Amino acid sequence: MSEHVLPQTELEAWGTDVQVVVCETCDWRFVLPAETSLPRCPHCFGTELELLSGEVSELPYVAPPEQAVPFAVSEAQLTGGIETFAKGIPLPPKDLNPAALRARLQAIYLPRWWVDAEVAALWQAEVGFDYEVVSHQERYSDTVGGWQARKVHEGRVRWEPRAGRLRRTYENVMAPALEAEKALRAQFGDYDVTRARPYHVDMVRRAPVRLPDRVPAVAWADAEMALRRRAGDECRQAAKGDHIREYRWQPAYPKRNWTLLLLPAYTTYYLDDEQRPQPVLIHGQTGRVIGMRKASLKRAQRIALILGLMALIIFVLSSISLLAVAVAPPLLVLGGIGLLVGMVLGLSALAPLIVVWRFNRPRRRPQER
Amino acid sequence: MAQFPPPDFVQTDSAIVGIEVYMPAPEPDIAPQGVVDFKCPQCGATTAYSVADGGICCEHCGYYESPTREVVGKGAQEFEFKVETLERAAVGWGAQRKELVCENCQAHTSIPVEMLTYTCPFCGSNKVIQRDAAQDVLRPRFLIPFQVTLEGCQVVARQWLGSSWMVPKDLQRLAHVTDFVPIYLPFWTFDAVTTADWRAQVAHTVTERYRSGGEWKTRTRTVWRWESGNVRRLFDDLLIAGTERLSRVLIDRLIHFDLTHLTPYDPNYLAGIRAQAYDVSLEPAWAEARDAMREDTRRACRAQASNSRMRNFTMNLDFAEETWRYVLLPVYVGLFTYANQTFQVMVNGQTAAIAGQRPVDWTKVWLAIGGLLAPGVILGIIGLVTAILGIGVIIGVIGLVLFVIGAIIAFFIYQKAEGMDDV
Repeated sequence: MSEHVLPQTELEAWGTDVQVVVCETCDWRFVLPAETSLPRCPHCFGTELELLSGEVSELPYVAPPEQAVPFAVSEAQLTGGIETFAKGIPLPPKDLNPAALRARLQAIYLPRWWVDAEVAALWQAEVGFDYEVVSHQERYSDTVGGWQARKVHEGRVRWEPRAGRLRRTYENVMAPALEAEKALRAQFGDYDVTRARPYHVDMVRRAPVRLPDRVPAVAWADAEMALRRRAGDECRQAAKGDHIREYRWQPAYPKRNWTLLLLPAYTTYYLDDEQRPQPVLIHGQTGRVIGMRKASLKRAQRIALILGLMALIIFVLSSISLLAVAVAPPLLVLGGIGLLVGMVLGLSALAPLIVVWRFNRPRRRPQER
Repeated sequence: MAQFPPPDFVQTDSAIVGIEVYMPAPEPDIAPQGVVDFKCPQCGATTAYSVADGGICCEHCGYYESPTREVVGKGAQEFEFKVETLERAAVGWGAQRKELVCENCQAHTSIPVEMLTYTCPFCGSNKVIQRDAAQDVLRPRFLIPFQVTLEGCQVVARQWLGSSWMVPKDLQRLAHVTDFVPIYLPFWTFDAVTTADWRAQVAHTVTERYRSGGEWKTRTRTVWRWESGNVRRLFDDLLIAGTERLSRVLIDRLIHFDLTHLTPYDPNYLAGIRAQAYDVSLEPAWAEARDAMREDTRRACRAQASNSRMRNFTMNLDFAEETWRYVLLPVYVGLFTYANQTFQVMVNGQTAAIAGQRPVDWTKVWLAIGGLLAPGVILGIIGLVTAILGIGVIIGVIGLVLFVIGAIIAFFIYQKAEGMDDV
């Protein structure tokens, strides 16, 4: 494949002047319209993006994508998703609120490899054919006085060996273009790529386009697996079968062509206790929100401290009252009650800490909301 | 994929352009449609299957051709009850007749559809007609070749005629046995596994003591206790006759074929031998087999209970792994006449088991019954007299016992005699 090194003129094919930028913190690379001022990294929100000038020709792919799945989440859906995400957190960080999340919302496109390949292969498999057999279930009862029979139809599969030769061109076979895609897809769900539309310059104007971090040579293993699945299914259809198993093939790929499919997403973030940005990702087609939902330990500590101090004061005052019983016996009741209240308050000071610790403990990985 | 296409694979239709599909070559059609005429390749005379030689023989020049098929036994392919097969089997053979033109003498003949073989009445040439079945699996695929010769069959029949004391004394000497006709009869074999869960109230006898009138007494009473269990039965090659044109009573008596000798169908085995296609189709035959299987399973369930006395017996039965085969099995059919009456006989062409009607000498039978009952009756009368005279009742008791034993034996003798001419 000669597509590893692309001329910088590929940038011109975007339909507008574009610039390639990089985040020095997370190393994510984006394509933006040239006139756009450099924003904070829409991935880690750590630093501002920097222009990547000299090394553009060394990037695996900077040509415009072939197609993109359009953004399909309404404003109401976005707002609802964000509100649900921010809801239900005990003592959330001050910054974790719908308004802040909504204000920082930024659209981006995530890339996925789209491979067209011509395949020539010999194949062998077991093809399954569905058929129905008639069986019987019967019931005997002395009281009814005989047998009652019921005919049942059971589905079965007949497996037969098949072999063949294949010469087909497969278009738009997908392979991850990001190292994080598999993990992301597991949390995020996949996209309905049938809704993809051909690339238009407005797409890059609307949102920065993330560039692949997996080169085609690495992504080929995934593409080949997808090709194998698709070829296997076509072989099943060719053999007029209903199922296929033990599919083996010896493929050759006379032609391969790599392009990109863009997938819409929104990113935003909130600042945690340590003022570190915690990224939140929103599916651009379904509105599903993922991100780390953390309760604020600092707020919990503050409340615990206040409650603890109050308890201490009450405890001290109660102790003094008890010491003064000899002088004024009615202080015994007041001192006793105060001692009790102080103890209860002291113990309840632990509650915010426990609640926050428990909430944060099982939510170490990003949660979907 | 060392070799492409793999050995014994042939190309087949593909539903997608650009993909070639190869499948294992289908087995060569054992029974191509049409009529197979049996002529000697040496002298042109009519050939036929010789049971004694176990192959095709020419009586004129001595030409012999051994069968090409090897015994597959119980490994003979079995088929599932596919919806499609059942539907097509129900169609049967129809009522039309097949028009045949003899290649030998050009004679036109019309024969019933259920006949699989035919001998031209004009020139004597043997033909095997391979019917266009509703589905390929409904053609006969396996058979057991004749192993008993015609002569052997005659010997068996003669011995059988004189083998019972109930038949007339001169039956063996005077009976005129016509020639036995070898015929392949259609049979269905069925396999299945039945699984049944049962539940019933089983009677348990409890002895208890109670006080009545100031003294202790003992009584027994029945307590009904719920019991349950499950049974799994395996049925292998249950045979059901595929024809109603011959006596089912006789067929059922000689149905014990050894299916380890099943051989793939080859028209050579049928040359010169009559053969009949099924007229009881798959579904009614399967219903009959199922009936036998479920009754067997029900008996097994009842046998599991701790007592045979039970009530509210219920069972749920599932059939599984049901398969079937359509086979041709060898039978000789013959007749003999005695005292101007005709009696049917059948001989199992594989095992030489024989079944048939025989005349009964009822005088002998009644004498035997009388002889069996007489000791009991006589001792009973003597016992009655001794009892009246006050000598004792022991003779009467012995007489009663002998009478009961005699009556039981007499009943079985009568039953057997009564069934000897059943068809």
